[in-house]
Amino acid sequence: MVDLAQTVFGVTFQNPVLLASGTCGYGEEYADIIDVDQLGGIVTKAVTLRPRVGNPPCRISETPAGMINSIGLANVGLEAFKRGKLPWLRENLHRAQVLVNVAGWSVDDYVKVVGGLDDEHGFLGYEINVSCPNVQGGTLFGTDKVALAELVRALRAVTQRPLVIKLTPNVADIGVFAQICEENGADGLSSINTFPGMLIDVETRRPVIGSTTGGISGPAIRPMGVYVTWKVASRVKLPVIGIGGICTARDAMEYILAGAALVQIGTAMFVDPYSAPDTVQGLHELCERQGVGRLSELVGALEV
Amino acid sequence: MRREQRIVRAWCEVQSAERTAERTHWLEFAALEIAAQAAPGQFVMVGFGGRGWGSPFLPRPNSVAAVCGERIGLLIRAFGEGSRRLASLQPGDSALLLGPLGSRYRLGDARRILCVAGGVGLAPFLFLRRWAQQRGCGGEIRLLYGERDARAVFDPSKIRELCGLEAEIWTEDGSLGNRGRVTEGIDLDGVDLVLACGPTPMLKLVRKQALQAGVPCQLAVEEHMACGVGTCIGCAIETVDPDTGEQGYDLACVDGPVFPAERLRW
Repeated sequence: MVDLAQTVFGVTFQNPVLLASGTCGYGEEYADIIDVDQLGGIVTKAVTLRPRVGNPPCRISETPAGMINSIGLANVGLEAFKRGKLPWLRENLHRAQVLVNVAGWSVDDYVKVVGGLDDEHGFLGYEINVSCPNVQGGTLFGTDKVALAELVRALRAVTQRPLVIKLTPNVADIGVFAQICEENGADGLSSINTFPGMLIDVETRRPVIGSTTGGISGPAIRPMGVYVTWKVASRVKLPVIGIGGICTARDAMEYILAGAALVQIGTAMFVDPYSAPDTVQGLHELCERQGVGRLSELVGALEV
Repeated sequence: MRREQRIVRAWCEVQSAERTAERTHWLEFAALEIAAQAAPGQFVMVGFGGRGWGSPFLPRPNSVAAVCGERIGLLIRAFGEGSRRLASLQPGDSALLLGPLGSRYRLGDARRILCVAGGVGLAPFLFLRRWAQQRGCGGEIRLLYGERDARAVFDPSKIRELCGLEAEIWTEDGSLGNRGRVTEGIDLDGVDLVLACGPTPMLKLVRKQALQAGVPCQLAVEEHMACGVGTCIGCAIETVDPDTGEQGYDLACVDGPVFPAERLRW
């Protein structure tokens, strides 16, 4: 029997497979299709201080081995999340861990959302989105060292819960940004958010996406995600959550070998909602076949 | 989120596949649990799951076009890479279906219903009448169906067989049926409900006429989709709350695809 459990942020994740922010709503959308509570956890759609309607259509389109999206952080906002979404997570998820993804445009925005949630029950901690490519200023904190340091410090001061920073790959040396998070009190890092991209309709000579550019996700970006995760994990001691194009257990294992303690599945859920539970099952089989008793032995086990 | 129906995710086998018009195919899938629930206007996501991690990548939304016992029928027109792959399916092949999804047409107690279909927007109307009759809604239905030309027209005898209605066919070049756009056939005299499905420009014309005449109208819209269940927030459509005037976006997958005409901000 393979033990897939991972102890991260001082708690046990029953397996390392989480649903990625922006691809699983607030959990209940998938509840009659898969048993969300069998997963390692879920990361909610971003929560911002106020509700956001999001970007104008067209918001998504297919790209080679993936997709482009520009949703614009459409979400119900802090108060409606507390009232209407958190109760479901609290009442229905007992084994899966919940991270609330938080987005903002100023330190104050982030602090208010985290401060407004911190006394609530039903979730473990936060994933701080400093890396959304689809709203003006969305990557501000993820690409500015001074601003990132200030943000992480400010959030550390208002919460004892696990604080995970979701990094953008769109910087020259992501290791530097990972280190800034570590030095300023973050508990973990998510690597990575989408790559900015563009799709042009050659007949209309217009961008396909309503807000011109978007973020690219899916298997197309997996090699870059694995590379960035490896760079981050090599640079800091913080646990890393690997994200980017994971569809199967083998994909998840690439990230784990590169140093990820946990992984998130996102875009693959659109192709098949069983992707996440199948990945859990597949990790069992892969470990068993390789004679590995505990998955945790493989974190960062890459040989170069 | 309280859904009226349980969404089913299942690999379903193609039972029959026939070419019914230019680039257009009629596929029947064995999909017991979806067939048991699907209503006109609703759709299924059709994809290839773990066989499709390359390209085409995402599943595609397709309006349910028939419910025959344990089967559902889909009307597929090959436009791009995704629909070409679906159109190439043969009996014995299988695809990953997720559904039924989205809202359906609401017939209420309408006595005279006008259905306006453009292209493969014919799909929901192929089983609307039988579906309604089984539920005791016995309104009289007139079906207008438009295509670019005769080669694109779904076999009229097959329409008759599937839905028990004689479609009034319109082609833009007059090569079959009436000449002109299908919206030219709209006559709202005595009609107490208009239902439409088809290309957006057609839907806009139908909407305009119905609103002007004050006839209730429901439109099934089309948008790019990834998940089909409300998680990706990708299929936003511009809407307005008819009561408050508040503008926003609804999701074509969970709030639609069928919307009251007055809710669409067109």
